[in-house]
Amino acid sequence: MKYISLAWRFIGTTFLWFFFGSIGLLLSVFLFPFLYLFVPEPGARQVAARKIIAATFGAFMWGGGKMGVFTFDVTGLENRDPEGGQLILANHPTLIDVVLLLSVLPQVDCVVKEAVIRNPFMRASVTTANYISNREPSDLLNNCVERLQHGASLLLFPEGTRSTSDRPLQFKLGAAEVGIRSQTQILPVIIDCRPRFLAKHEPWYSIPAIRPHFDVRILPPIPVEQDVGGRLARRHARHALNDALVSLFSAELS
Amino acid sequence: MDSNELYSRIKSILIDQFEVDAAAISMEANLYDELEIDSIDAVDLLVQLKELTGKKIPPEDFKDVRTIGDVLNALTAV
Repeated sequence: MKYISLAWRFIGTTFLWFFFGSIGLLLSVFLFPFLYLFVPEPGARQVAARKIIAATFGAFMWGGGKMGVFTFDVTGLENRDPEGGQLILANHPTLIDVVLLLSVLPQVDCVVKEAVIRNPFMRASVTTANYISNREPSDLLNNCVERLQHGASLLLFPEGTRSTSDRPLQFKLGAAEVGIRSQTQILPVIIDCRPRFLAKHEPWYSIPAIRPHFDVRILPPIPVEQDVGGRLARRHARHALNDALVSLFSAELS
Repeated sequence: MDSNELYSRIKSILIDQFEVDAAAISMEANLYDELEIDSIDAVDLLVQLKELTGKKIPPEDFKDVRTIGDVLNALTAV
C-alpha cells in the first residue's frame, strides 16, 4: 500500500511539472504577448497578467491536491489588507512556496531572480506582471521600498533562497531594511511543510514516504518602528527587527 | 587617482558616512567584523565607491571582499 501511494504521488508530481512547464510555455507564446495588444494600458496589463498567473498557480495547487501529491491549508487570510501596503514575509521551505502564496495573494508584487527573467518559459509572464528583478542589489532595495510606498503589497522570502533544514533559520537584512524604510506593516506568513518536500538540494522526483502537508499560517500584521533616520540608528533598527522576525518564525516552525 | 589617494578617500567615506571610528581603519581592517559594516551598508558603500571612482565593482566580486585592502584591489581590478 505504501508503495502504491508512493508510485501514485510520483506520477502525480511528474504530471504537475509537465503541466507547469507546458502551460508556462503556451501562455508565454499565445497569451502574454497578446496582452500587449489587447490591454495597452500598463497598469491594467499588470493586473491582467497577475490574474492569469494566480489562476495558473491556483490550478497547480488544486491539481496537486486532487491528485493527492500534497495537501494544503491556509489560515489567517483575514489578516491581509486587500488594499495593499503590506510587506509580506514568508519562510521558504519548498520549491513551490511562491506558487502556493501567489495563488491565494494574487495581486502582490514579488522579486524574481535574474535567471527566471531570462528563462524562456517564464520570461514573458514575469515581465508582463512587472515583478521586481534582483539584478542590482542597490536598485532592488529602492524598488522594493518604492512599490510599497506606492501602496502595493510586496512578498519577500527573507532567507533569500530555500531553507536549509540542518541549520537555524537565517534572514537577510534586506527584508527588515525594506520594512523600516517603507514604514509599512509586516505580514508574517509561516509555511510549515511536513515532511520535507521539494526542499533545497533535493530533486523534484524525490518523493517523501508520506504525503506532504502545507500548513500556511498568515499571522496578524506587525507594526514597524518609526524610522528615526541616521545610518547607525537604522542599522540598529534593522538588526533588531531582523532578530525579532527570526525569533517569531523559529518559534512558529518549531 | 593612485591607491594612496583612493585609500584616504575610502577612509573619509567610512568616517563621514558610516560613522566608523578613524582609529579602527587600516588596510587590514575587516569591514564586517571590525568596522561593523553590514550587508546593507556594503551595498551603499558600493554605490558611493562608484560615484567616487566611476568604477563599478560587480556585486559577485564584492562578496569576496573582507578588508579595506580587498576593496582597493577590487577597484583596481575593474
